[in-house]
Amino acid sequence: MKSGWFFLLLFLAGWLTGAVPVKPKPKPDTIPAYRVESIPMPDNLVSETGALEFLPNGELVAGFSRGEIMIYNPQTKQWRVFAHGLHDPLGILVVSNSEILVMQRPELTRVKDTDGDGQADLYETVTDDFGISGNFHEFNYGPVKDKQGNLFIALNTASPNGGIRPEVRGKLDSTMLGKYGRQMFSLVPYRGWIMKLTPAGKLSPYASGFRSPNGLVLDGEGNLLVTDNQGDWVGTSPLYEVQEGKFYGHPAGLVWQQGRAGQNPYEIPIAELDKARVRAAVLFPHNIMANSVTQPVFDNTGGKFGPFGGQLLVGEMNQERIVRVMLERVNGTLQGACTPFLDGQGLRKGNNRLAFAPDGSLWVGQSDHGWAGDEGIQRIVFTGQPLLDIYQMNLTSTGFDLTFTQPLEAATASNPDNYKFKHYFYQYQAKYGSDQFDVQNIPVTAVKVSADRKRVSLTLGTLKPGYIYELRLGSLASSTGQVLTNKTICYTLNQLKN
Amino acid sequence: MFKYYRFLFLLLVYLVVLQAYAQPVADSVTTIHLKAIAGLQYNMVRFQVKPGARVKLILTNTDDMSHNLLITRPGAREAVVNAALKLGEQGAKLNFIPSSPQILWSIPVLSPEETKAITFTAPKVQGAYPYVCTYPGHGFIMYGAMYVSEAALPPLQNDLNIPPTRRTDNILATPGTSPENVHAAHAAKPAHPYELEAPFLYRVFMPDASPAAIAVSLPQKLSYCWDAGTCRLRYAWQGGFLDNSDSWKGKGDSYGIVLGQIFYRDKTQYPLRLNNPENIPVVAFKGYQLQDRYPEFRYTLNGTMVYELIKPKTDGTGLIRTFRIPGNRQKIWLVTDPADGVQYASTAGKWINGTLKLSARQARHFSITMTPKEGVKL
Repeated sequence: MKSGWFFLLLFLAGWLTGAVPVKPKPKPDTIPAYRVESIPMPDNLVSETGALEFLPNGELVAGFSRGEIMIYNPQTKQWRVFAHGLHDPLGILVVSNSEILVMQRPELTRVKDTDGDGQADLYETVTDDFGISGNFHEFNYGPVKDKQGNLFIALNTASPNGGIRPEVRGKLDSTMLGKYGRQMFSLVPYRGWIMKLTPAGKLSPYASGFRSPNGLVLDGEGNLLVTDNQGDWVGTSPLYEVQEGKFYGHPAGLVWQQGRAGQNPYEIPIAELDKARVRAAVLFPHNIMANSVTQPVFDNTGGKFGPFGGQLLVGEMNQERIVRVMLERVNGTLQGACTPFLDGQGLRKGNNRLAFAPDGSLWVGQSDHGWAGDEGIQRIVFTGQPLLDIYQMNLTSTGFDLTFTQPLEAATASNPDNYKFKHYFYQYQAKYGSDQFDVQNIPVTAVKVSADRKRVSLTLGTLKPGYIYELRLGSLASSTGQVLTNKTICYTLNQLKN
Repeated sequence: MFKYYRFLFLLLVYLVVLQAYAQPVADSVTTIHLKAIAGLQYNMVRFQVKPGARVKLILTNTDDMSHNLLITRPGAREAVVNAALKLGEQGAKLNFIPSSPQILWSIPVLSPEETKAITFTAPKVQGAYPYVCTYPGHGFIMYGAMYVSEAALPPLQNDLNIPPTRRTDNILATPGTSPENVHAAHAAKPAHPYELEAPFLYRVFMPDASPAAIAVSLPQKLSYCWDAGTCRLRYAWQGGFLDNSDSWKGKGDSYGIVLGQIFYRDKTQYPLRLNNPENIPVVAFKGYQLQDRYPEFRYTLNGTMVYELIKPKTDGTGLIRTFRIPGNRQKIWLVTDPADGVQYASTAGKWINGTLKLSARQARHFSITMTPKEGVKL
C-alpha cells in the first residue's frame, strides 16, 4: 500500500514537472539470496557422487561410484586423485589432510597417505563385521562420529529386484528366504540396522527398522538423526531421531533382533510392529516435499550461509531441490517442519551429498547411479541479499507460530485467507509407499501478528497428533515489498503442546 | 571360451532384433509386452508397428518403484515430462498424466508387480512416437520410441529417440568382446580421470568369490581375484583383465566379468594351516598396503598377522606369492590341490604330497611360485 502511494506521488511529480521519472531502484528481491555455481569436473570422471567432505586444509575430498577418491582445491580449481579401486564409496569421515575413513561396500576402510606423495597407499580395515549377500541394494552409509569417538554407520536392506550370491559374507539367516515377496529383506547381519563402532573397534547393532537410510548426522548435543527412503513399510520419506535399541518401522532387520531369531519378521502382526515403532520426527510428503531424501547437514556456519543457522538442510534426489528442516522438542520428542530451501535456481537433481566449506558455502554432490538424478558437484553461496522466508514454525497449544526472516507487510499478514492448512497421514503398510489418508482442510480461526511483524500466531480449528499439517501460504510480502516465493511448509505433529 | 561368448552375444542381438520387430498376430492386433525394469528403464527401448495397425500394449511393472507410461506425439516427450512435474501435489491423483493434446495414450501408475494393457490404433502418420514414464524424476531417462513406419529402424547406436545409455547397451553389456577390443574401447573413452597402469586393483563383486572380492591387474597380462571375505587367493587368469561395465550401471545384481583364461583356482578348504595341518584357521581381513602399487594383503589367522604379496614371475608365466609372518613361532603348512591348475616351487620348506611344510623360522618369510600346467581345464 505504502509503496503504491509512493509511486503515484512520483508519477504525479513527474507529470507536473515534465521531468523524466527517476529510474526506480531494483527491488531487493531481484538479486537472489543464493547463487548456485557448478564445479568443473575432471575429464573422464563419471561424477556420480557418493561422498563429499572438506579436509582441514580447505580442500574438498569426494568419492565417486567407480571407486575414485578425488581431491579438489577450490583456489587452484585443480582435481587430483587420492585413492582408487574402492567399491561404491558412499561416505567419508575426514581424519586429517592425509587420512580419511571411507564407507564402502565390503567395509569401513582407513585410507591413508603414509609416504607423503599425495596418494593413499594404506587401506586398513576399520570394521567389516557385518554381512554382505551380494545383493545390489546393500549400500552402506556413514560414518558419523560422536564426541566420545563412537562411529555410526547404516546398513541398507536388500532389494527383491536382486538376489543373493551363492557365497555370502557373514552368517546367512534364511528365515525370510523366499518369503519376502516384494519387500526389502535382510538375510545377513545386520541389514536394516544402524551400527555403532566403539573407539576400541567393536561393532554392535544400535537400532533397527531401516529400509534405505541414506543420511546420518549428529546434532550439537550428540543426538543421531537419520533419513530413510519411501518404499515398502515407509509411506513417505522420514527423518528419525535414532536412539539405542529402538525400532524404526521396517521389519526386515528384526530377524537379527535378540529374541526374534527364527521368526520371519513379515509374520509379525502389523499392529505389534506399529506399536513398537518410533514415529518419524519429520515426514517429507512424497512429491510435495521430496521423493528420495539423502544426507542431512546442520548449518553451523554462524550466519555465513544466511539466516537459517542451526537448521538442517537435507538433499533430495528426484527434484532440483534442497529441503530445510526446522526441529523443536515437544514433550521431550523431536518433531518439526520441512520446507523447500532452494528450488531450481540452477541447482540440479540427484542431490546426494552435502558438505559445508570453511567459507560457509554449501557443496552438493549429485548422483544418478541407477536412480533418477544428475551428476557433478555444485556449490551454493549466500549472496548476503535479504531474503523473505519462513524462519521457524513452532507448535503452540492452539495452532502454530510462524516466524519470518523479515517483518511482514501487516494487512496481508493478518488476513486468514493467506494461510490454508490441510492435514493428512500416511499409512504404515507393507505396500510400497502410501496414499494420503483423511485429507481435510483445517480452518484458521484466528491470526495474530506480533508487534515486530515477524511472528504470526495462527489458531487452528483442530490439532490432531499423528498427522502432517501442510500449510500453503498466500501472497505475503515483507514491509520492504519483497514477496514470499516459498509457500509450502509441512509440520509433522506427533506430540501436542499442553 | 571366447567363441562361447560370441555365440551368446549373437543370441542376444538376435533376441533384441526379434523383440524390436514385433509382428502382427493372426487377428491382426500387434501385441507388445513392455516391462518397467530396475534402473529407470523399460526392457525394450523401441518397437515398430505399421501405420494404422491395431496395437495391444501391455505394461508390467517388475521394478520396486511405481511407473506409468504415456505415448506422446513425436518430439513432445520433454514437454510432457515437464508438464507432469508441474502437477505438484495433484500429480499422484492424476497418475502424473497432465492434460495435454500432446498425449495420445497412457497407462496409469502401476505399483510393483501390476500389469495393465491398452489397445489403440496406431497413427497413420509415420514417425517416432515417444513412450515415457512421467513419474517425477523418471521421465528424463525412462523412455523409448514406438516407431510407426514400414521402413527399417536406424542402428541402435545412432537412434536419438532412445536413452543414450541404451544406445550402446548391447555392445557394452555383452562379454563377447575380446580383451584387445575392450582395451581399445577403453583407450577411446577412459573409464577414469587418470591412467591405470598395472598393477592396480578394484574392489568389486566377482564370480566364484565372496561379495568382498578384490580384482588385481598385474603386468604381463596376469590378473587375480583375492577374496577379502575369506582371506585368500581364489583364482588367477591370463589375457585381459576385467569388464566392469555391468557393475558400473548401478542397479541390479552384477559381477565384474573376467576377460581371459583362468589358470588357477584354489580348491582347498583353506590353504594355510597353523600348528596342525588339519586345523582350518579363523581368518580376519585387515586391509592392504601398496608397495610400488602392488597390494600386500594383511590378514590374521587365529590372531596371527600374515602379509601376502603377489607378483608376476619375471618371465610372465605365473605368479610369485610372498608371505611374511613376522616373529612367527608356529609350524605352518601350505596345502594345495592337485587339480588347481598350477605346479609349485618354494623358497623354503619341504613339499610332502602337495603340502608345503615350513618350520616356524622358515614361515616368517617365504615365497611360492605357481606356474600353470598345460592342458588343465578349470
